[in-house]
Amino acid sequence: MMKLTRRAALAGAAMALCLTAGGGASAQETFKVGTINPYSGPLALYGGEVNRGYELAADAVNKNGGILGRQVEILKGDATNPQEGIAAVERLATRENADAFIGTYLSAVAGAASETALNYNKLYWDTNALATNLTERGLPNYVRSGPYSVSFADVSIDLILNSLAAKLGKQPGDLTVWLEHEESVYGTSIAEHQKERLEAAGVKVLGIGAHSYKSIDLTDSVLRARDANPDIWVQTGYVPDGNLLLRTARDQGFKPKATVFVGTGDTKETLEAMGADGVEGLLVVSYPRPDISEAYGPGSKAYLEAYRAKYGEDPIAPQSMAAFVGFKIMASAINKAGSAEPEAVSGVLGSFDEPLRTYETGFGAKFDENKQNQRAYPTVIQWQGGKQITVFPDDAAGDNKMVNIGN
Amino acid sequence: MSAFLNIIIVGLLLGGIYGLVSMGLNLIFGVVRIVNFAQGELVMLGMYGAYLSWYLLGLDPYLSALVVVPCLFVLGVIIQRFVLQPLQNEPSMQIFATFGLLILFQNVVLAITRGTGYSVHSDVSGVVLSIGDINVSLSRLFVLVTVIVVAVGANWFLHSTMYGKAVRAVTQDRRSARLMGINVELAFMLTFGVGSALAGLAGVLLAPIYTLSPQIGGNFILAAFAVVVLGGLGSVWGAFFGGFIIGFIEAFAGYYLSPELKHAIWFLVFIAVLIVRPGGLFGIAGAEEVGLREQD
Repeated sequence: MMKLTRRAALAGAAMALCLTAGGGASAQETFKVGTINPYSGPLALYGGEVNRGYELAADAVNKNGGILGRQVEILKGDATNPQEGIAAVERLATRENADAFIGTYLSAVAGAASETALNYNKLYWDTNALATNLTERGLPNYVRSGPYSVSFADVSIDLILNSLAAKLGKQPGDLTVWLEHEESVYGTSIAEHQKERLEAAGVKVLGIGAHSYKSIDLTDSVLRARDANPDIWVQTGYVPDGNLLLRTARDQGFKPKATVFVGTGDTKETLEAMGADGVEGLLVVSYPRPDISEAYGPGSKAYLEAYRAKYGEDPIAPQSMAAFVGFKIMASAINKAGSAEPEAVSGVLGSFDEPLRTYETGFGAKFDENKQNQRAYPTVIQWQGGKQITVFPDDAAGDNKMVNIGN
Repeated sequence: MSAFLNIIIVGLLLGGIYGLVSMGLNLIFGVVRIVNFAQGELVMLGMYGAYLSWYLLGLDPYLSALVVVPCLFVLGVIIQRFVLQPLQNEPSMQIFATFGLLILFQNVVLAITRGTGYSVHSDVSGVVLSIGDINVSLSRLFVLVTVIVVAVGANWFLHSTMYGKAVRAVTQDRRSARLMGINVELAFMLTFGVGSALAGLAGVLLAPIYTLSPQIGGNFILAAFAVVVLGGLGSVWGAFFGGFIIGFIEAFAGYYLSPELKHAIWFLVFIAVLIVRPGGLFGIAGAEEVGLREQD
């Protein structure tokens, strides 16, 4: 009896071994991409949204033969802060044998997760983080395919110089601007870049106001801007302070000829806070949306249809389309390199020379020495009748027109 | 001149907000002798209560006070009875317990809302009264009126009713109060309930002004602690005037100096007051030490 049991146990163990080995072999047949994003906590909504972009891209890539001839499998790594980012990468790299990593819109997480990925000599492909220093580190395994904070600042200035000035019937030299920003390094670095470019173009910057995004009251900030009486009021910050600024401006009767928000202000959260009338005419620099013209973003309509088919609703935020495009560029880079090793992928990045308006978001692909894609820009929407309408650049807007600016 | 007048109004309205948020905190601190770290979260719960009443029942946020304030009163009584009372002889554990409640409330709301910012609508919230160059939003004016009513009401209650006198007796000396036949535990439960209801009231009135997030309580609570310590620990008028002092400092420093510096300046004033009058401007000298004295 005893013998039998032992034999049975041995057989069982052998079978289990076979199964694990077999499982391992079949797992190696897929190309595993660890997707680092916040999937829990307060930021989960956008983390999940970015991941939907990756899932759609994985579907598209798999239809075309996958990565390195293998079908793509997505492994989610939940990271709401840098520590969790490190833990998620370690788990996916060791226990789940991830081949490469892609992520997230949280710059702090991207920084920590990419350094950890380097310890395992894995590629970290960034699609949505904005901090400038991420690429300036020159990390050998870090590539960014999407726009970063400087691109957002640049587009806000292009909008003012190439579109708003003419609509207001002014030369740049006669134009006045107030720059408002939240006081951390994110808002400050964008405002400094904006000031530099505006002044170089001869635009008069009447003042720069900094505030905490946690402020209980922003009447002082609004009154300072109102009393300076600028043509254009520019704000860079987060959702709570942006909403409070809009409310306070309405209460204080501050109505500049144009208001431009950078980064936030294009979501339902702002619409619900202010109502359709309250946001009417507001311009927001943000990720390209699926309503951009086909000429600017070829395939953007097909992307929207694929999204609706898979998830049964419209995209919650535009970040997912940039994630989708980033994933596809990563897949083609790895295929070109014939390997997912950071060194091999870095080696082929120089050969990318896709012009602007190649991808669904209107991005092109041309990487600089820090592996930052220099051909990725946000677009500008305007709130019109409670809807976000892409209005800039002109060829992205297609038939859409800017309203309520300079009558 | 009109800018100056405008800033005075801004400071006054802001002071109302600070005063209202601090009132409950100060009551709880003064009577129960607990630094309630979860007070900001009670304000946050009041805000979400207003949202829920609006979303489910279609109630105007200002009317939702009729539902939310009693709910928070009950919640406060429950917290005092089942969380804090069992820890009565361990003051530091009580503080940790309120900190635990802070984390609990924040994360429960976070799990439910997934962190999306909500907004509450009231027909009143968009109304602005304009006198010359000065604009006053009606929702902020409501807060100011409420804080005055609450301060006067609380003062009347504490000085002119038997229950109020019992509460004051407990504040001054628990042991003697007990000897006089006052039920100290009941007084604590009711006080915590009222303090929590006041936080709920503040939440309801502030909901139409802000975008709701699970962490929003933290934005108020730092200022509220400054108000309470500056105005005087345990004093109704301390929270009232402390709120206005902080409001004025913030409005003037923010407008005339720089919005970046305003918090630094009110903490500077705060430290200066603490050095000169450790009990706060309206506090009884030595009140800040009562909590450390052997009680019960």
